[in-house]
Amino acid sequence: MQGWASCATAAVGFVVCLVAWQRGGGTVSLPWVPSLDLRLSFAFDGLAALYSLLATGVGVLVFAYGTRYLRQHLVEDDRPLAERRRFWPWMALFAAAMVGLATATDLVLVFVFFDLTAVCSYFLIGFDRERRAARTAALTALLVTIVPAVALLAGAVLLYSTYGTFSIPELVATVEPGTTTTVAGLLIAVAALAKSAQVPLHFWLPRAMEAPTPVSAYLHSAAMVAAGVLVLGRVHPLLARSEVVLTVLLVVGLTSVAVGGVLALGRDELKQVLAYSTISQYGYVVTLYGMVGAAAAGAAAFYVVVHAVAKSALFLSAGAVTTATGEDRLSRLGGLGRRMPVLAAATGVAAATLAALPLTGGFFSDELFFAAAKEHGPVLTVASVLAAALTFAYIGRYWIRLFLGPLATAPAALSPVLLVPVVVLALVAVAAGVVPSPITTLAEGAGAVSHAAPVTLSPAYHLDLRATNVMALAAWALGGLLLAAAGLRDRASRLVATAGDRLGPRRAYTASVIGLRRVSERLHDWETRDLRSSIAAVLVPAGALAAAAFAATPVARAFTVGPIAGADWLVLPLLVLVGVATLVAARTRERLGIVLALAAVGFGLAAVYALRAAPDVALVAVLVETMLTLVFLAALGRLPGTEPRREHGRRRGQRWRDPLIATVSGLGAFVVIWGYLSEPREAPSVAAEQIRLAPAAHGQDVVTVIVADFRGLDTLGEITVLLIAAIGVATLLGRGRLW
Amino acid sequence: MTLAIAAAAAVLFGAGAYLLLQRSLVRVVTGIALISQCAIVTIIGSSLSQGRAPIDPQEGGPLSDPLPQALALTALVIGMATLALLLALVHRVVVTHGTAERDELRDVDRPGAGGDEAVRHEGDETE
Repeated sequence: MQGWASCATAAVGFVVCLVAWQRGGGTVSLPWVPSLDLRLSFAFDGLAALYSLLATGVGVLVFAYGTRYLRQHLVEDDRPLAERRRFWPWMALFAAAMVGLATATDLVLVFVFFDLTAVCSYFLIGFDRERRAARTAALTALLVTIVPAVALLAGAVLLYSTYGTFSIPELVATVEPGTTTTVAGLLIAVAALAKSAQVPLHFWLPRAMEAPTPVSAYLHSAAMVAAGVLVLGRVHPLLARSEVVLTVLLVVGLTSVAVGGVLALGRDELKQVLAYSTISQYGYVVTLYGMVGAAAAGAAAFYVVVHAVAKSALFLSAGAVTTATGEDRLSRLGGLGRRMPVLAAATGVAAATLAALPLTGGFFSDELFFAAAKEHGPVLTVASVLAAALTFAYIGRYWIRLFLGPLATAPAALSPVLLVPVVVLALVAVAAGVVPSPITTLAEGAGAVSHAAPVTLSPAYHLDLRATNVMALAAWALGGLLLAAAGLRDRASRLVATAGDRLGPRRAYTASVIGLRRVSERLHDWETRDLRSSIAAVLVPAGALAAAAFAATPVARAFTVGPIAGADWLVLPLLVLVGVATLVAARTRERLGIVLALAAVGFGLAAVYALRAAPDVALVAVLVETMLTLVFLAALGRLPGTEPRREHGRRRGQRWRDPLIATVSGLGAFVVIWGYLSEPREAPSVAAEQIRLAPAAHGQDVVTVIVADFRGLDTLGEITVLLIAAIGVATLLGRGRLW
Repeated sequence: MTLAIAAAAAVLFGAGAYLLLQRSLVRVVTGIALISQCAIVTIIGSSLSQGRAPIDPQEGGPLSDPLPQALALTALVIGMATLALLLALVHRVVVTHGTAERDELRDVDRPGAGGDEAVRHEGDETE
């Protein structure tokens, strides 16, 4: 029920996006936090249309598939079907966040949606929460994508501090090339690359395959991973103003293509092959963003659509195979083509799309890719052919091992709900290969946003030996060779995998997480060891902050001694008396002495208040002190004799520790309080207003009026505190019972 | 006068901090009492104007700032409530455990320190 509801919501979203796209989009901008210049700015432009249609369109199919898959998944694990409640809301929220991210044109808003997708993915990847591997994978995905996302925010703030706006269109119009732009661009790129699982932050994606298949199919084809390249496409006009950023994108993209492709060649688990393939395929897109130009921007957009369709079909088919056979490894599967011809054909189409064979959308996406690469010199031309050859080889190996050869595990009958979405996606891929114009239009719109200028794409079949066709033929030939040379291929892939495990970033990630946990545990143990360290944990940082504040503010004329006039001459000796009584209270070990010293402090201060023209405070202070003295006497009367003479269990060096800490904190308090009291504002504006209004509140005593009227709500809170304290005291004295 | 009030407040705070660090709970409570006195003195000292008591303002002449006085009243009453509660707690501790020394109490509260450790390692998610 929930699944079909989510599916229907996605379908409605798809139709709405389609209509909005046909109508030419539009923009909305509402004030959000005016004091910080934040606006809720959304634009339904070409880029937004592409990613929204992708997220909702693939969403419909994946959700439909998920209704059946999830039921079976839960039944197999003996879990109650009610657990679906932990699944569908996150899926739906994810789709919504993706649409929000696609349409947001304010950098802070982009950051918010970016993190929202990460939070959803955490709960979805960790859906099988009983399994430790799923929990760890969810945590890894969250940390690796959310920590670099902070860089996106930092980049946004950096741009704001220079150009005074978070709005991406305004920034595109004003940003100049320079160090700030380079640094901000790099920060934003780091966040986007981590999200798109690019080397070296790619390791979260293969682990995230612990998730149920619909999650993998959705998050890791059309949504989560696409969010990274979406952000790149959105801010690309800014990134294009820095050569450094473009070079980084090129290098990272090509490395990811190579690493992902080579590792995909050797994986055994179905979803692992697809995960590494995703890393490699988004490497293509990042590479395209690294090449500047209309052709590259349009090709990147085209590539994203075709890849999302093909990859979600492949994920869904992998899930269908595992559901039917119970196996998830290539080595235990094979020969399924004869038993599941429809699935084999649909998967074959999706695989052919990745391999860029003619009559699939993949052919055009590679044609555009080759055309863009050719413009950027011989190095990129060769690299692009090698990349396509690698893709051809690993996806060919995947399909052949799965569907050809002798039958390894007999499949059970497959529910049509699991089959139809794969077929639909395969049909879309073929349609794109026959009539590319809808996707071309979509990609042109998106490319225009990324390139900040109109983009025209003209994918078509040409039966001649033009460069792109030669490059495609070369890629297929090389890929075929790689497919045939199984021994060499497997050895190379294993070598890279071992090297990655030894030196890879995943090891650094694990070490840093474990290290952080250790530090945190040690701090926690120290802080909660006893009351003394808990107090220190509050006082020391407070003191450090105050010291930092003093270091940062000018001290000249910040301290005044203040005039002494009239009754102040009486206040001075009283303050001296209070000081002496305080020291006595601190030194004495006689309990009665403590009470008397405290009383002396309290009554001395009451006299000070009386002389400082505060009769109300003085009266209340006398009352309170009287009561406190009595309470103290009553309490101490029930306690045994004197305080222990010496603090035992001390080492000799620690004897001076407490007085030293006390002196330092006293001096600190002195500096802070003196500085604070020395800087009065000129006019007591609030007080003047309250004095003026006091008669209107039917009172002569301004203090009473403030307590009872102007700040009456505070007083109500205070009475509540008194009541709670009274109940507490009564309960404690009544041995746990109030009455 | 500013200097004198600041000095008195600082003595109160320093002595309060010293007492907070002691092992006897009675002295800890005394320390809290002294620190809240420090806060009240500071609030009263932060009065922006000096003059007559702010009673019957229509008589004219400069008045003392009424706002800190109102705040000090609140602080006084809440301070009393807190202290009464703390004293009742100390009393209860002494009745139950027969001591108000933190060192001795620490051994009382932790019957099974080992169990805690086991729980923490079970929830280990990092790798």
